[in-house]
Amino acid sequence: MAASAMSSSSCFVSSLRLIPFKRTFFSSSIHHQPKNLISRPIPSFLRTIVTFQKIPTVIVPPISASSSSVDLQPVEELPPKLQEIVKLFQSVQEPKAKYEQLLFYGKNLKPLDPRFKTRENKVEGCVSQVWVRAFFDEDRNVFYEADSDSVLTKGLAALLVQGLSGRPVTEILRVTPDFAVLLGLQQSLTPSRNNGFLNMLRLMQKKAMSLEVRAEEGTTTTSESTIDEASIVNVEVDKPPSVVEVEESESVSKVVALGNRGMRIREKLEKELSPVELEVEDVSYQHAGHAAVRGSAGAGADGETHFNLRVVSDAFQGKSLVKRHRMVYDLLQEELQSGLHALSIVAKTPAEV
Amino acid sequence: MEGVAMKLPSFKSLAPTAISVASTFSIRRSFSFARRSSSLSATITADSEPVSLGHRARKDFRILHQEVNGSKLVYLDSAATSQKPAAVLEALQNYYEFYNSNVHRGIHYLSAKATDEFELARKKVARFINASDAREIVFTRNATEAINLVAYSWGLSNLKPGDEVILTVAEHHSCIVPWQIVSQKTGAVLKFVTLNEDEVPDIDMLREMISEKTKLVAVHHVSNVLASSLPVEEIVVWAHDVGAKVLVDACQSVPHMVVDVQKLNADFLVASSHKMCGPTGIGFLYGKSDLLLAMPPFLGGGEMISDVFLDHSTYAEPPSRFEAGTPAIGEAIALGAACDYLSDIGMPKIHEYEVELANYLYEKLSSVPDVRIYGPRPSESVRRAALCSFNVEGLHPTDLATFLDQQHGVAIRSGHHCAQPLHRYLGVNASARASLYFYNTKEDVDSFIVALADTVSFFNSFK
Repeated sequence: MAASAMSSSSCFVSSLRLIPFKRTFFSSSIHHQPKNLISRPIPSFLRTIVTFQKIPTVIVPPISASSSSVDLQPVEELPPKLQEIVKLFQSVQEPKAKYEQLLFYGKNLKPLDPRFKTRENKVEGCVSQVWVRAFFDEDRNVFYEADSDSVLTKGLAALLVQGLSGRPVTEILRVTPDFAVLLGLQQSLTPSRNNGFLNMLRLMQKKAMSLEVRAEEGTTTTSESTIDEASIVNVEVDKPPSVVEVEESESVSKVVALGNRGMRIREKLEKELSPVELEVEDVSYQHAGHAAVRGSAGAGADGETHFNLRVVSDAFQGKSLVKRHRMVYDLLQEELQSGLHALSIVAKTPAEV
Repeated sequence: MEGVAMKLPSFKSLAPTAISVASTFSIRRSFSFARRSSSLSATITADSEPVSLGHRARKDFRILHQEVNGSKLVYLDSAATSQKPAAVLEALQNYYEFYNSNVHRGIHYLSAKATDEFELARKKVARFINASDAREIVFTRNATEAINLVAYSWGLSNLKPGDEVILTVAEHHSCIVPWQIVSQKTGAVLKFVTLNEDEVPDIDMLREMISEKTKLVAVHHVSNVLASSLPVEEIVVWAHDVGAKVLVDACQSVPHMVVDVQKLNADFLVASSHKMCGPTGIGFLYGKSDLLLAMPPFLGGGEMISDVFLDHSTYAEPPSRFEAGTPAIGEAIALGAACDYLSDIGMPKIHEYEVELANYLYEKLSSVPDVRIYGPRPSESVRRAALCSFNVEGLHPTDLATFLDQQHGVAIRSGHHCAQPLHRYLGVNASARASLYFYNTKEDVDSFIVALADTVSFFNSFK
């Protein structure tokens, strides 16, 4: 379950669009020619109308296992309850007392209903058995329940359940495993198969994300445990393909948390282009209606097929627009061949912004 | 999961001479050690107290003299891998420092020396298990690879649909999975012997299972979980009666007792170096000459060929036929040194000491309340290996192992020990296992038991 997207902590930070995106155009030709996706240059007479919003992207640098106190995620970024827990453990110095504290948490963990002890809820890579379940409340805060046959693991699960429950998805996704170091419970922070703690956190974040995505798709808004018979995706009416959008955007852009593909795209671009600014926006929902996507086998359950990319990087220096776009496509070849349908790319150098 | 671990970085390496202070056993005479040698008997002065083999041997293992997590290290995981004495490490170092060179090919001095030492190591291994010829020893990466060699080379060319391969439910994964793969390819059928009420493989059932259809019986000699041993000699007789071959997984026996392949008369026998004081990365397959001669190659490449043309090649004689590419030369030589080291002590002596330790461990462990040890009870007729897999009622083995390590420096293993079918059969997910070797002492067992009691009471206080 070593999802590559998870190995870099920066993946948990997706820059979410908070401002309506003023798009220049979205030609339908882009969707139907996956191999030749080149956005047309903006006609000069339209440039004055279109504005681009610069949204500073917080890119958390990947944290390697060996770095200790220097690059840790600041405690203040953690959900409040988790901060409390961290501080509590930090105040307990003696190792044995820490264990006692951990066991105490585990003991008070609400038992998990056996019907939730499914394969889907099991944390991979644990010698002991650990299950985690996640569900939304009406305000789309995530709540967790967990259980384990090992009391130490149960204690860890309890820490996470208490620390993360009742928080919105974005906040949960922001958490990196760094805080484990702060707890003083020495975990191996390498994303190795055997690191149950890391895997638990990952699973919880993954579940939070899929709750969000599913809620967006309208299949389920509350409990993830109810299995819908026919999950009919409730899609937005497809926008008529327009050549030019003028001034106001025609729709409020929905905030969609990045799924796996989105994360991968972000990770790849960050890694290869070291961008000064990077925005990855999943707009698949806008195209969920049309034929190409419905037939797209590789889109996967989360239907990540269309993205808007905005990349500002020195790597584009001295390259024509075509070349810049080609660079991006080359990097995302794998995605393009596995169900990614279309990219709308804005590629600039820092000087051009 | 590995569990919560509290690492307080204290890693003190005590000088070997300070060891006598650490053990509670009162050593009234001091020893003078002229040199760190593999010949332990020479280092004991004439009027010394009879110090156990464990105490004497420890001096050769520098790794044992350290602290982990603030406590003295008590290493009880030798069934997973053994520690290496200085002599073995020196042999490895020497090879690389003085005569490292590729073997079997060169003409020059270094390569001749390397080849000599490499082939000498082969002879040492052959002698260690009393093989009739050094050519019956094939060096592999480990026992797992050796079993795969037999499975792919012998198995694929000898097993037909409907043929039966007999295993036990207590086999290590390395002696199950290769046969699963090969039986899928050939249409052979795997049959499993289950345990009897003494928690050992049911020999009567095994005997009954052997039939005209049986082509191979692949069994462990000593079980890494149950600590039981199988009567291999008898099994071989029954198997040969029907024309079946026998492969013996001797990973837990070769390091701990005299293993004589002439006496056993097994067709194949495998073992790993790293469990017998040798380095990792090397192991061996023993195969009877006539069998090896008839077997096609396993891996192809350099060294195992005779002539190579573009469209075909001819192959070398065994053992070279099964040793493709440059071998782990230094490791093989170090394995030879390990054989020397063990032989110097004497395998009978090692075994005798370990029987004593095994009984002591079992006795002490069973006196801890709520402990359930797997495998047979030791008796006059039943000898256990010096290991105990066990569970404590209401306590997950991972929690146990974590706490033992973090609070007491005691290193045991928790999990399924590469024997998932066995654990499933016993009805548990995992177990804890403490395993000893001749460098452990009764004090180690005592420390373990004290730590275990502390651990159990700690977790019980939370119930």
